[in-house]
Amino acid sequence: MKTKTSLMIIIGIFLIGSMSLTAQTEISATEIMQKVSDRPDGDEMEGTLTMTLINSRGGERVREIRQYIKDFGTVEKKIMFFLKPADIKNTSFMNWSYDDANKNDDQWIYLPALKKVKRISSDSSGDYFMGSDFTYDDLGDRKVGDDTHTLLRTETIEGLECYVVESVTKDEDYMYSKTITWVVKDRWYGLKKEFYDEDEDFLKSLTLLNVEQINGFWIITGTEMKNEQKDHMTRMEFNGVKVDAGISDSKFSERMMKRGL
Amino acid sequence: MSTPHKKTGILLLLLLLVVVNLPAQGLQFSGYARSYTGILLNDANEFSILQNTFNLNIEDSRGDVAFKVNPYIYHYSNEDLIIGLREAYLDIFFDNMDLRLGKQQVIWGKADGVFITDIIAPKDLSEFLLRDFEEIRMGITAIKANYYIGNSGIELVWAPVFTPTQLAEETSIWGRSPEFESPISGVSPTLIYDYSQKAVPASLENSETFVKFSGVSSFIDYEFMGGYIYDDDPSMHIKVDMSVDSNGVPQPQLTLTPQHHRLSLVGGSTSMDIMGYVVRSEFAYYSGKMFQANETFHVGAMGMTLPSGLEEKDYLHYLVGLDFSLGSTKLSTQFIQQYILDYDESIIQEEYSDMATFLVNRMFMNDLLTLQLFAYYDITNEDALVRPTVTYDLADGFEILAGANMFMPGVNNDYRAYFGYFDDNDMLYLKLKYSF
Repeated sequence: MKTKTSLMIIIGIFLIGSMSLTAQTEISATEIMQKVSDRPDGDEMEGTLTMTLINSRGGERVREIRQYIKDFGTVEKKIMFFLKPADIKNTSFMNWSYDDANKNDDQWIYLPALKKVKRISSDSSGDYFMGSDFTYDDLGDRKVGDDTHTLLRTETIEGLECYVVESVTKDEDYMYSKTITWVVKDRWYGLKKEFYDEDEDFLKSLTLLNVEQINGFWIITGTEMKNEQKDHMTRMEFNGVKVDAGISDSKFSERMMKRGL
Repeated sequence: MSTPHKKTGILLLLLLLVVVNLPAQGLQFSGYARSYTGILLNDANEFSILQNTFNLNIEDSRGDVAFKVNPYIYHYSNEDLIIGLREAYLDIFFDNMDLRLGKQQVIWGKADGVFITDIIAPKDLSEFLLRDFEEIRMGITAIKANYYIGNSGIELVWAPVFTPTQLAEETSIWGRSPEFESPISGVSPTLIYDYSQKAVPASLENSETFVKFSGVSSFIDYEFMGGYIYDDDPSMHIKVDMSVDSNGVPQPQLTLTPQHHRLSLVGGSTSMDIMGYVVRSEFAYYSGKMFQANETFHVGAMGMTLPSGLEEKDYLHYLVGLDFSLGSTKLSTQFIQQYILDYDESIIQEEYSDMATFLVNRMFMNDLLTLQLFAYYDITNEDALVRPTVTYDLADGFEILAGANMFMPGVNNDYRAYFGYFDDNDMLYLKLKYSF
């Protein structure tokens, strides 16, 4: 896939950036983030996503989604079928994301109670997804050029050598003033990421829990986002992942949104 | 519970027992149980509703066939039970075509809470417009065929039996009866109802047909539709007998005969995202609508005007809507207009009728708490319905909702006022819902 717009590949969460080379390194921060963005992960992917929302008292709520993603060249299409909780079962959501940086995503939602597919505004990147600690933007495809990237240092975490990259937004209205990402050298996925709010206070941290090689691609199948300010956490697991196993083009249609799984 | 209801209830229970005892084989059950209590904000603070609901969806899918049955039960405080099937259909899927046969809700159009091209599923107005959306729309027995060409397609719906709007009983707080003011002081017209023409016999000739071509694309979503239908709302044919009493005072007697008439319509709807704003539109041209009109009667030298006539006119019904966000707050507004073509001054309804809707919605506490305000405002009559709600998720599937329905009076508040007529029905309510 050219882009990494997916809940499954939370790669988008870990990336972003551009910046200058330091004297001690052979690669710039921008190049690091571009490599993360360009990391191959197949043209098609499907699986079941489970999000466990955990509040400050340890109370848990569970959301489960079946999702399919396919790269059609200049557009990546994604369709999600909500399985849990019961009150949103049979709801579906479809997103078309374009390589053209000037073109907004197209999004539709099917609500079984209304029995119709509604186009919804894609201008909601700062909203939290299904009450989790992930915003739509965290799960999406932030362009490398949207931030200024600086390589801070290298660190070794759990035996893996990482580049530590600071990414400062170029957009003053963006919800994060900066992020810091730990990118695993040569594998080009994020191991950890910190988010700072508009006041530059530490907001939340994303930690990689599990990564698997599936069909020759590194696929992140477990992450945890902890919002330090709200003392709330979301654990995300991606199960039954299939890469390039064959998804029909017609899967990404209004017909399938209504029909469901 | 009346005898027919008892029989239906027993049949439903038997059906449930059979279904529950079937081997699993992918059979899926979902639905909800709900307790709903409403209290009027009048001096007596009467309960407007004390209702318990059980709604069950039974679904199965095997390869290219699927079925769904959706029985429901409403239980009221006086032990009345209302039992029914909202949907019961079979799906057959082909490569580029789907067939759905049976009782089904078919919803068209892009409007929210307004019915312009969305005219297939009749409305259940037993609680005015206050029920949840899926409960307002009734299922109809129909055959629906969809043929797909990429992201567009044609939909054909054939309904062999006409189903009218379900109106509230006259004794209900949501009942609405025509009122006739006599121009002669102290004289009230006598009203006699004749329901002999109300039912539309089930026959091939009386069936309804709908067709739609629709599609989604990056630029625009669109629907073009047409229908040869019966008007879901009956026209009131009124026969006036103008006798004179011994003092020479006219004593009008009105015989009211509700009757459904044929309508044909063409229309369409669009929806597109422009710089983060979703712009929606919907329009329809209706041909052959019967509008209530005034008639003048002469008794000797005395003239008397009564709203007893019917004028057949075409009309346009259209809407523009805008959905957008301000931060995490979702907003939506719609402007709706109805325009009667070749207008005659005797028609009681205004030539132009304007209405607007407003929606504000925001979620808090990781979506545990939702605040919402929805309002209809009749611009022409200046009456309104305002519906604030607060919803809190107690746990996954458990929800508590507190809300109010506030009816604002307008210029006129008689039976013709859509919202102001219910000015005495302001209410607070509480719903507890468990979804499974």
